[in-house]
Order: sequence, then structure tokens, then C-alpha cells
Amino acid sequence: MERLMPKVMLDFKDVVSGYGEKDILKGFNATICQGEFVGLIGPNGTGKSTLLKCLSGLLPVKSGVITLEEKDNTRYSQRERAQMIAVVPQSFDIDYDFTVEDIVLMGRNPYLSYRTRESQNDYHIVTEAMWATKTLPFRKRLYNNLSGGEKQRVIIARAIAQEPDIILLDEPTSALDIHHQIEVMELIRDLNQKKSMTVVAVLHDINLAARYCNRLILMKDGKAIVDGIPKDVITEPNLKKVYEMKMFIKENKLFGKPEIIPLRVIKESEDYRSLRIHVICGGNRASQVLEELEAMGHQLTAGVVNQGSDDWTICDVLGIPMIEESPFTAISSEKQVKNLAVMAKSDLILISDLPFGHGNITNLNGLEKLPGEIYFHRNCLNNDFTEGQLQKRLEAIKKHKTVNEIDDHQEFIEIVKALTLIEDK
Amino acid sequence: MKNTVKKYGIILSIAMCIIIIYICTLLGVASISFWDANKILLDQIFHIDLGMENISDGAIAIIWNVRLPRIILAFITGGVLAICGAAYQGIFKNPMADPYILGVSSGAALGATIGIVMNFSSSLFGMNGTAILAFVGSFTTILVVYNISRVGRKVPVATLLLSGIAIGQTISAIMYLLMIFNQEEMTQIMFWIMGSLNGKGWDQVLTVLPYVLIGGVIMLTSVRELDIMLLGEETATQLGVDTERLKKKILITSSLLTAAVVSVTGIIGFVGLVVPHIVRLVTGPKHRVLIPFSLLFGGAFLILCDTLARTVAGQEIPVGIITAAFGGPFFVYLLRKRKQGGA
Repeated sequence: MERLMPKVMLDFKDVVSGYGEKDILKGFNATICQGEFVGLIGPNGTGKSTLLKCLSGLLPVKSGVITLEEKDNTRYSQRERAQMIAVVPQSFDIDYDFTVEDIVLMGRNPYLSYRTRESQNDYHIVTEAMWATKTLPFRKRLYNNLSGGEKQRVIIARAIAQEPDIILLDEPTSALDIHHQIEVMELIRDLNQKKSMTVVAVLHDINLAARYCNRLILMKDGKAIVDGIPKDVITEPNLKKVYEMKMFIKENKLFGKPEIIPLRVIKESEDYRSLRIHVICGGNRASQVLEELEAMGHQLTAGVVNQGSDDWTICDVLGIPMIEESPFTAISSEKQVKNLAVMAKSDLILISDLPFGHGNITNLNGLEKLPGEIYFHRNCLNNDFTEGQLQKRLEAIKKHKTVNEIDDHQEFIEIVKALTLIEDK
Repeated sequence: MKNTVKKYGIILSIAMCIIIIYICTLLGVASISFWDANKILLDQIFHIDLGMENISDGAIAIIWNVRLPRIILAFITGGVLAICGAAYQGIFKNPMADPYILGVSSGAALGATIGIVMNFSSSLFGMNGTAILAFVGSFTTILVVYNISRVGRKVPVATLLLSGIAIGQTISAIMYLLMIFNQEEMTQIMFWIMGSLNGKGWDQVLTVLPYVLIGGVIMLTSVRELDIMLLGEETATQLGVDTERLKKKILITSSLLTAAVVSVTGIIGFVGLVVPHIVRLVTGPKHRVLIPFSLLFGGAFLILCDTLARTVAGQEIPVGIITAAFGGPFFVYLLRKRKQGGA
């Protein structure tokens, strides 16, 4: 894949541009080489589409230089530029009854003067383009009667017919269902790999971007703030700079690419008093309650949790301190001692909905000596694999303390809210 | 199937136009027999003499110097208005665009009003004073509208349409003011505004012909770019069309063409709006087909309307009234269709 001397196709140097007085791009810098598949990501209004408009000659650059194949972009005529750059817009409607072939044939316009009509060769190229995009079977149909995915493929066929060196895509999949999203992205990847076309795509879907692009440029306030391979760009610290979001990034094992799971928007300070809450978890049902408690601003701890369990992953992502045990290992009494030490400082202790077995029943040892209030999820009793030990443990705790029983996690959240709401006076 | 229609359609349409021209030449208020009229045509066109002794010079003059040039002028005018309408609807991407939308008609009307009021009688290049002033008026209007809308090198379509309306209204106001102060000429002005081919001869045909030939060729060289323009200006730019140059080219060509015919015939409405729509329904949106067919169909349509105008009543009716009588209801039909389409 690595080329020794990749040819520089595009070079942006301190590019500033915008509409009227307002600058959208504020000094964008990047160099893009032949054969790259570059994804532009970032929130709305950071100048991704503006950048494509500057590149395709729709918008003048106020300062800075865009170099397209070793020549200043402004020095190309619209025709010359259209021979090098093809644009695939977001989605595209036409008020007139053109056939699919008519639309694709328009891609040949940059090569035709007003005197010449489309030659045999032009028709050949158009047919090839329709074949590559699987639009050939409906070449005579009206564009307006096609589905969204088919329309998008026709527009890509038109871009191919332009025989460009660079193909620009402005959110090519945003109006499509997942089947067609993948179809379109694979088509573009094929163009990139088989025809070594340079691709620059504005993508809103970070996961699609990470999966298909071999380079990502993360934009903020009209500048590139991170630029590199997906694995280096899609990290929590990077994305946090750009999106005001709590998110969760894990490696997608299937594609070996990072995958982002957006959790929630970071809100202004919450109106809740902060409590110390310890959650006994370790299965796969506590994620939501952990997430919500964290969102309310409480100081959470968890344990003892087996590494690799779903609840463990969530705590890891949210940065909740945990007492951990190795995967698939019974919880040792040493770990439980540590756990008790943490729980001793907690205001509330939640025994969340999790199955109990011989491996994790140790979690409940010594709870009767703790000062904090104990809440117990009743559903644990339905997932009891301890041959009665769970009942006995509970009885033992109940001898010394009240155990508040709850039927679901939401109930616990409500209780905590009632306890901690700061009333405005 | 559709290809054969396209192939032979143009030949059939040309044949149809010739037949219409022929039939309409035979029709008229003056009673010239069918056979005599044919004899005159054969004699004048092919120099075949089938016995002209019994035919009066007056009859020859009516057929050859009155009806035929008038019909040919009607054909040219109708054709020009239709292709200009088609091209405007293309570059403005607006189905309601017609050749007069940028104020050409108001400018021409003001020019003609001034000509009539001042009783301008000198003539130049076969145009009388009124026609010259009308031509100057309409072309000046376009220049003003264009320059008002211009932002640097660009001319945004929306601004162009709006300033066309604004300038048109202002100019009309001046024209009405002139009319109020010159009530004796009011009828004459009104007749001019409603458009008529009455009393037009070969001179007028020769005046407009060069514009039409040159303008028509220029239009035909822009057909592919006009097609692409229908996808929107941004897309057209990205497909290598210099949209500003194209707009300028079409604007200048169309306004010259329109100004030329309007200054001779007055304002004949609706042909330029309605004909391209009807043709588009049959041929589809591609300008390579749309423009030639609009020319033929627009021409034939105006010949028929004009024949009605000069034969249907005892007195000449301005042809603009007839075209409007057909065009108005069609316009309403288009609006309703658009509404149903949800557009």
C-alpha cells in the first residue's frame, strides 16, 4: 500500500473562506496525496462542506492557497477543474424528466466543446461508469423515479464519467438507509482502491468514516485539529475537544477499527448534591444505572467486578474507580476486604441486578458492618445460582441493618434524586 | 419508438409548418378564390404561369405583399418568443419565466409610447421610428436590470428576476403617465402594447431575420450547457459549466432577439411562456430537441392565432388578445398541476 513517492494532489495552506463577512474556514492546513481516502469529520458548521466548495470552485478563498496538482486552484478554468475534480453531493433532486443516461452523460461535459457532440468514446465511458455502479440496467429510466440509493449511484456514475483524479463527497450517505449506506461506501472504496482515485469525503457518521477512510481529518472552528489514521484520531480526548459529548470508544473487532458509541450530551452543572455511591455489579445490567448516576454527578465506585464483563467495560469507560478481579475468577476474600474498605466510605450501596453464583457471592460478605444504606434489587433472587447462600447472606445482613428492596434500577434513581435534589429557595 | 418520433418528428413538424403557412395564406377577409391564390403563389415562388390574366394586381399584392410576409413574420415572432422562453426557463430554472420577465416588454412599450407621442417618423434599417425607440427601450432596460443585479462578476438569478420586475413596474408607470397626458394617442398606444402583425411586410421580415438566424445558432450551441443548468447552478459549475458566461450569453441573445421582434410587432404575450411547456411535455427537457421544436411549434401557434385575429371578426383583433385567451387558461392549468404535484 505504501508508495515511495506519493504524488501530492491537494495542498491547503492557511485557507480562509466563508460567506460574506463571516469566515467559516479559519486557516485550514492539510496535504493530500494520490490514492488517499480522506474523511473530513467534525460537528456542523466547522467548515467541512465549505472546504469542498472552495475546492470545487464555488466559493472564493479569502486568503491562503489551495494547490491542486501543483497549480493554484484559482488559475484553473471551471472546465479544467471539472476534468480533475468530481463532486457527489448529499442528495440530489431534479425538477425535470432526465433519464439516468442523460444525467451520467452530463459528466462528459468538461471534455466537450460547444461545437462537438458526444462521441462514441464518450458513450463508452458512460456505459462503463454505469456498469461499475450497477446503474446500467435502468439507464433509460427517469432519474426522478429512482430510489434514494439508486439516485446516489447514478450521481456517482456521473462523477466516474468525469474521469476525475479526485472525487469529493459531501455526506454521500446521509439520506440513505444502512444497506445503501454500506453499498455506496463500498463503491467509493472500490474507486479508491481499483482506480486509485483520491477521495475526500465529508462524513457525519464517524463509524463509517473510521471504517472506510484510511485517513481522518477532525475539524473544529474551521481548522484541522487532528489529522491521521482512524485509530489515532478516534480517541476520547480528541473527540471530546470537538463534540460536547460523553462517549464510549471501543475497538470494533470485526473491522479492527475504532467504534464510537455516543452516550449523552454533557449538560450544565446538575442540581443534585453529590453522594458517594457504591454499586455492586459485574453482569451486564448495570450499565444504564451507572451511566445515569454518573450523569447526576455522584461519586461512584464499583466492585468487585470481573474484568471483561459488560459492567466492567462501562465503569472503565466512565472512569469509575473499581475493585477488579481477573476474568472468570472467583472473587477472593482479599479483594472483598478492599471492597469493604471502599464501601465503608459510601453513603449508599446498591446491590444491582446481577446473577449470583459461588464466584461472586463473596461480594456480599461483611456488608452488615457498613454504615451506608443498602439497596437490593429483588431480581437477584430470580438469578440465584448459589443453592440458597444468597438468601442466607441476606438474612445475615438483615439482622443488623435494613435492606431496602427495589424492583428496578429506575426506582433507585428516583430515591437518590429525592434524597439529593437541592431545592431553590 | 421514441427514437423514430425524434427522427421523423422534426421533418413532420417542418412539413406541418409549411402546410399551415400555405393554408393560412389562402384564408383572409378579401375574397380571392382558392384557385387564384394558388396561381399567385406558384407564379411568385416558382415562376410557373398558369394564366394570371384574370387576376387583379390588388389580389397579387394581398397574397404576396400582405398575407405571406405577415404569416412569415408571425412564424418568426412566435418561434423567437418560444425559444427565448425555453432558454430563460432553463437558465432561471423557473417554469414561470418568459421572454418578457426581465422587463424587455415594458422597456419596448415605453420606447414605442415615446415614439408614438412624439410622432417619430424617420426610419432606419427598415424600422420606423417607433420600432427603433422600442428596440432601444427594451435593450436599455435589460442593461439596467443586469447591472443592478450584478454582484462583482456574478449575477444571482433571484436578484435578476426581482430587479426585472421592479424596473419593469417603474418603466410601466412612466409609460402610463405619458399615456394620461397624451390621450389622443391612447388607442394607438394600446394597440401597440397588445401586439399586432397588422400591416407588416417584407421589410419587417428582413429586419428581424438576421437576429433570428444568428440568435438561433447561438442558442443551439448552448443546448448541452442549458441542460446541465437545470440541475442547478452549483452542480453545473462542478460539471465544468461557466455559469456566469452562459447566463450572460443567453441573456444578451434572448434580449436582442426579443427586443428585435417586440419592436416590430408589439408585445405578444403567452407564446414564450406556454409553448416551451407544451413542447417539453412531448419532447422531454433536453434543449437539443426542445429548442428546435419550440421554434416550429411557437411559429405555427402564432400563425394560427394571427389568422384568427384577422379573420374571426369584422375588425382586426390584436393578436396578443388571442394568444392571451389561449395562454391564460393554460397557465392556470399549469399552476394547478404544480399544486397537485406538491411542488
